[in-house]
Amino acid sequence: MSTTLFRTIQPNHFTLLTTALLRTRTKTSRHISVRCQTSTTTQQPRTSAPKNHGSNKLDEILKDYEAVIGIETHVQLSTSTKAFCSCPNSYGSHPNTSICPVCMGLPGALPVLSSKVVDFGVRLGLALNCSLSLKSKFDRKQYFYPDLPKGYQISQFDVPIASGGYVDVDIPLEFGGGHRRFGITRVHMEEDAGKLLHSDAGDYSQAMIVDLNRAGVPLLEIVSEPDMRSGVEAAEYGSEMQRIVRYLGVSNGNMQEGSLRCDVNISIRPIGQAEFGTKVEIKNLNAFSAMSRAIDYEITRQALLYNQGQADKIVTETRLWDEGAQKTVTMRKKEGLADYRYFPEPDLPEVILTQEYVDSIRASLPELPEAKRRRYEAMGLGIQDVLFLANDVSVAEYFDEVIGKGADVKSAANWLMSDIAAYLKNEELSISDVKLTPHELAELIAAIKDETISGKIGKQILFELLAKGGTVQGMIKEKDLITDPVEIEKMIMKVISESPKQLEQYRSGKTKLQGFFAGQVMKMSKGKANPALLNKILLEKLNAKE
Amino acid sequence: MATRALLAVVTASPPRMIQIKASTFSSSLKFQRHITTIGRCFSSDTNPSVLQPPDVSRLAETARISLTPSEIEECGAKIRQVIDWFGQLQQVDVSSVEPAIRAEMEGGNLREDAPETFENRESIRASIPRFDEVYLKVPKVLNKE
Ligand SMILES: [Zn+2]
Repeated sequence: MSTTLFRTIQPNHFTLLTTALLRTRTKTSRHISVRCQTSTTTQQPRTSAPKNHGSNKLDEILKDYEAVIGIETHVQLSTSTKAFCSCPNSYGSHPNTSICPVCMGLPGALPVLSSKVVDFGVRLGLALNCSLSLKSKFDRKQYFYPDLPKGYQISQFDVPIASGGYVDVDIPLEFGGGHRRFGITRVHMEEDAGKLLHSDAGDYSQAMIVDLNRAGVPLLEIVSEPDMRSGVEAAEYGSEMQRIVRYLGVSNGNMQEGSLRCDVNISIRPIGQAEFGTKVEIKNLNAFSAMSRAIDYEITRQALLYNQGQADKIVTETRLWDEGAQKTVTMRKKEGLADYRYFPEPDLPEVILTQEYVDSIRASLPELPEAKRRRYEAMGLGIQDVLFLANDVSVAEYFDEVIGKGADVKSAANWLMSDIAAYLKNEELSISDVKLTPHELAELIAAIKDETISGKIGKQILFELLAKGGTVQGMIKEKDLITDPVEIEKMIMKVISESPKQLEQYRSGKTKLQGFFAGQVMKMSKGKANPALLNKILLEKLNAKE
Repeated sequence: MATRALLAVVTASPPRMIQIKASTFSSSLKFQRHITTIGRCFSSDTNPSVLQPPDVSRLAETARISLTPSEIEECGAKIRQVIDWFGQLQQVDVSSVEPAIRAEMEGGNLREDAPETFENRESIRASIPRFDEVYLKVPKVLNKE
C-alpha cells in the first residue's frame, strides 16, 4: 500500500499542541477569508469529491468513486451513578465492585432512571440542534454476551430523546479548509455493557475475563447521517463531538479510556450512482487520526476491488483497524441483520419532558464550539488561530478571560499559541495547571504594548510567571534592576575613588566597611543596582591588589 | 423461563403486540413497588392479520433455551393458546384511541445522581461460578451472529 496515503495526517494533528505547523501557515494565510470562500462550496451539489486529504492516490480514486460515511458515537456520561441504579460510576475502580441487583439483572430488581442522564441527553440533543421528544421511552435490546449480565441492554429504539439535528465543523486549512454541515439522525439514552478482556493467564485461548463495573453506566449514542465523504471529514466530525461533550461537561470524551467510541460505517459508489454500495463497519478506532487513516485505507481497498471487477468481494462485515499494520482486517462477517427482538422496557415509565424544563436547559447551555469559532473569526483572527483556540474548552475559556480584561486579541492569541503552548508541551501541563493567571497575561500584553517593557523582557517575565506565578508589576519592579556589570562597576569605582579613607581602613582589616561602600553605590543607582552583582564586583575591587 | 419464553413469542409476533410481564419479587433484596405493565406497541403495519403459529425451535434458540422434542411439542400448544388470546385482543377496535408510546404509570420517578454502594455485594459475587482473581471468568466467546 502506498505510504503517501498514510502520511496525509499528522498523528498529532487533532491535539492542542501541534502549533508549529499551524503557526507557519497562519502567517501566509491570515488574510484569506476561509469561511466565505467555502460556504459556497457547501451549497453546491458535489460533482467531485472534496480534495481535503492531500494524497494523490486517493485523489485519483475519488475522481471515479464517492465514499459515503456515517458514524455512530457512544459517549460515556460523567454522572456519579449508573443509569438505572445508584452504583458508583467511577472509571478504574477495583473490578466487579460497583454492582447491585439492578445492574446485574437479578430477578425482581427494578431500574430507576437517573435525572442527570435525562439532563445530559437534553443538553446534547439541544447542542446538536435536534428536536426533542417530550415523550420518549426505553426498550430492551436483547442479545447474549458475557459482558451483558441481564441478557438485554436498556436502550431507546423507536422513540429516541432527540432526533433530526446537525453539526457544523471547520476543516483545517492543511486538509483543504472549508465549512461543512453534517446531519445528526438521532441521540438516544442507553446503558453500557461490562468490559470483556483477554485473560493474561496461560489458558488465554480458552477463557475470557469480565469486569462488570461498566455494566449499566449511562451512554448517549449519537447517530450521524451518512454525510461524510472522506477520512478527514469523519475525523473532524468525531473531534467536534469530543469538543461538544467537553464544552457541555457531559463526558470527559477520552478515547483511550473508551469514554468516546466511534464506529464508522463506510461504503463507496461510482460517482453518479444513486444507490449506496455495500456497507462495511470499522471498529477499534481509538484516535481521530486513526479514524481518518482507516477510512482512507478502506476507500482505497474498496475502490481497488471495484476496479478489478471484484465488487462482490466487498461484503457486509465488521472490520478492525490494525494500528501496527496500518490496515483494516475482517473481524466478523454479518449474515443477515441481527434480530435484537426489541420491545418496550416494561419496568420503566416513559420519559416526559416539559417545555419549561427544556427551555431552562437551553438557557443554561454554554457557548458551543461553533459559536466560539464564529465569534473569534468575527474578532479578526485567522482560521488557524480560531481552530486552535476553540479546540480545547479550557484554552478557549482562558483566552476569553484574557481578552475580557481588555487585552489585544491578536497578541493574546499569539502568546497562547506560541510561547505558552510550547511551555505547556515541554512541561506536559494543561492550561489549567499554569500559575500565570489570565489577568496577569492581560497585564503583560498591556505592558509590552505601552512600552513599559520590551518584548524580550516580556518573554522573560512570561516564563517566570508561568512557572512561579506572581504579578507583572512585581516582576517589572524586579526587572528594573541595573543588571549591566559595566555600569555597576563604573558606579563602584566612583564611590571608591571618592572614599580613600574608608578604602584604607577596609584594606587594613576593617572589612565591615564593605556595607558602607555597598550602601553608597546603591544610593547612587537609586536602588536599582542588582544587589548580587553589586556585592560581587565590589568585593573584587575592594580586595584587588594595587 | 416461562416469562422469557412468553416474551420471545410476543416479540416475534408482529404486527401489533401486547405484552405482559409479571416478574417475581425477592424478599432478600431492596425494591420498589412492583408495577405490572401492559404496554402496547404499534407497528407501521396496521393490518391485524392472523398471527403466525410459533416456531418453537427458533424461539428457543433466540432465547438460548434447550428444549427436548417433547418439550417443544408441549410448549408449542401452550404458546399457541397464548397467541390465539392475543389474536382475540387484536380484534378490539382501538381506532378511536390515541396511541400511547407507553402505558400509564406513575411517572416522574427519576432518581437523584447520588452514589450508594450496594451492601450485599458479596452475595452477588458468591453466585458467580468462576473467578480469575478479581475478574469473572467466562468461556471464550464464539460469535454466533
Ligand atoms: Zn447497580
